Amino acid sequence: MAETLLWVLPLVPTVAALAMLTTGDRRILSAIDVGSSAVLVALTLLLAREVEAGGPRSLGVFRVDDLGLVFLLLLVVLTLAVSIYTVGWLRQAVAVGNMKAESLRSYFALVHAFVATMVVTVLADNLGVLWIAMEGTTITSAVLVGYHGHRHGLEAAWKYIIVTTIGISFGLFGTVLIYAAAADVMGGAGTMSWSAIMEVAPTLDPGIVRIGFIFVMIGYGTKAGLAPMHLWLPDAHSQAPTPVSALLSGVLIKCALLAIIRFQTVAAAACGPAFAEEVLLVFGLISVVVATPFILAQRDLKRLLGYHSVEHVGIVALGLGFGGAVGTYGALLHVVNHGITKALAFFAAGTAIARYGSRDMRAIRGLFAVAPIGATLLMLAALSLAGVPPFSIFVSELLVLRGGIGHAHWVAIAIFLVMVVVIFAGLLHHAGAMAFGEPAAAASREPEAWSPLLAMMLLAAIMVLLGLTIPASVDGLLRRATEVVVG
Amino acid sequence: MSAESVYTIVDDLGALLLFTMILILAAGQIYRAIYAVAAQSLLIAIAGGVLATATGNVDLWVIAGVTLGVKAIALPWVLLWVVRRMNVRREVEPVIPVAATLTLAVMVVVMSFHVSASLGSVRHAITGNALPVGIALTLLGVLVMATRKTALHQMVGLFASENGIFFTAMAVTQGMPLIIEIGVILDVILAALVMAIMVLRVRSTVDADIASLDRLRG
Repeated sequence: MAETLLWVLPLVPTVAALAMLTTGDRRILSAIDVGSSAVLVALTLLLAREVEAGGPRSLGVFRVDDLGLVFLLLLVVLTLAVSIYTVGWLRQAVAVGNMKAESLRSYFALVHAFVATMVVTVLADNLGVLWIAMEGTTITSAVLVGYHGHRHGLEAAWKYIIVTTIGISFGLFGTVLIYAAAADVMGGAGTMSWSAIMEVAPTLDPGIVRIGFIFVMIGYGTKAGLAPMHLWLPDAHSQAPTPVSALLSGVLIKCALLAIIRFQTVAAAACGPAFAEEVLLVFGLISVVVATPFILAQRDLKRLLGYHSVEHVGIVALGLGFGGAVGTYGALLHVVNHGITKALAFFAAGTAIARYGSRDMRAIRGLFAVAPIGATLLMLAALSLAGVPPFSIFVSELLVLRGGIGHAHWVAIAIFLVMVVVIFAGLLHHAGAMAFGEPAAAASREPEAWSPLLAMMLLAAIMVLLGLTIPASVDGLLRRATEVVVG
Repeated sequence: MSAESVYTIVDDLGALLLFTMILILAAGQIYRAIYAVAAQSLLIAIAGGVLATATGNVDLWVIAGVTLGVKAIALPWVLLWVVRRMNVRREVEPVIPVAATLTLAVMVVVMSFHVSASLGSVRHAITGNALPVGIALTLLGVLVMATRKTALHQMVGLFASENGIFFTAMAVTQGMPLIIEIGVILDVILAALVMAIMVLRVRSTVDADIASLDRLRG
């Protein structure tokens, strides 16, 4: 049963993508979109129950364990939210001419092809398949980033495809090196399967694994948006259509983090945990520090959120770098929290931008007066992103911090705290200025569309819930996932 | 073939690969860089054939054939087609002078050999000097992309980078699993097509070269 699900899961969005090519009607397309995402959620929940009862399952090149399940659940929930959001967003985008009604089928088909490649990256056990699917996500999403077809969109798309393709070719090199180390130990043809490599990991040659891990870290780190390889991220995340921005920021960079975690476990077994943790710590700190000035000085709302993703990916890397059960648990929880919150923030920002016809935060004023529900949701997202209690990101940042204190990384903790406080002030300043005050005359006063609100409320509910309490089932899953990483 | 002669041939091919990389780095006109990367891919295919004969691994023959067809013939042909289509006459100056690029390149090669030499057991896992050559090609491909602003130069740099990875992958004891190599090559083809379409689309919709798109900052 669970084994069957492993190949059915990537098939669902693939079939949906093909079905979407056959029709050009917006209503039918949206129906397939929401329907296929709902099926994906249902099947994933079924798989989660099977795995909880019977442990990791594998089938050929696919494998699901508790670690992969954390990322898979985030992926399918956000995909569903994006599908619901798209219904209303698309109606508005077609009306103002941002999306061409005749090219909708290719847009939807690409989004689902993109989702399918992400599902494969999460389920891949074979490290080669992981790489192939990761490059597949670049190819499908690059077209989506430049989908609006204007000058900035095309520039962002080009930068994105070139920087991430070259980046993950480093990832392939690292994969080849670790495969070489494994083939050397196993003799014969060797294997690229992560679970098989993990079994022999302690006997791998530490020298090759070390170089391999650095290559992988640069490679998948580029895709994850870790500084200093993040240069494509603010452009791509800000120029893409809003639903795609949410998928890029909420899910795709997390898939790259999962790839890094997989290699981290191999490196930790082969050359001791300290080496991999140090590398992650350095990249995490650089990301947090580099993102801060850009967040403070930013005028473009979606670019602000893009730089914010760099900061939060940095925090996840810090959590993994601090290591231990607490740091790793915090990092995994942060992956979930940031994914949910960032998607919510992109949704709220997208509706605000559509209402004011501008992405410049100086033009967006008095959102509360024209769109009270949307403004409330934007404020909630901003408060959570800034790390205000009782929202979910506060909890995971605290756990990451505790992981650091447990291992006495005082310098890293000091830098981290200063940056978080500065970003906190900067973000609340930006958000407050947008929400309050007199609305500009140019602002649209149309009533708020229901489907974007529904999608945002779904995410806001999860965000608030995870801040107040972590349900026992989620906690158990995260604990088991942490065990996969730290052993 | 004896193990010794395979080592020698792989090392000789590695030297030739580095030579083609220098040609790419120094190429003033784009079509020269494209011919150089085609020659480089041809050398990779030959290396695949040699390693296939030496190890008796049939998969490597398939990989060598696909490399020859796709990377040495089809992709350079697509690039040349785009060059003709765009009617490129103006040459964009490199960001830093070619002499400085070549100096950097020498440093990268020396560093790659130095790093690999520090790995004792690598000789068991990877044939000959395939590892340092692979690392050097990958990094030098990035150097091409960083110092050249035109879209086609960047694509050439990308292909050169991937050649480096393929060379190292072939030299791992038995080569990578066939299905993975095929998947990787498929990705390369798709990425190249999407990039070529983007280059043409930028030309037709905003009447600009990729090199002149520089408005997204900060």
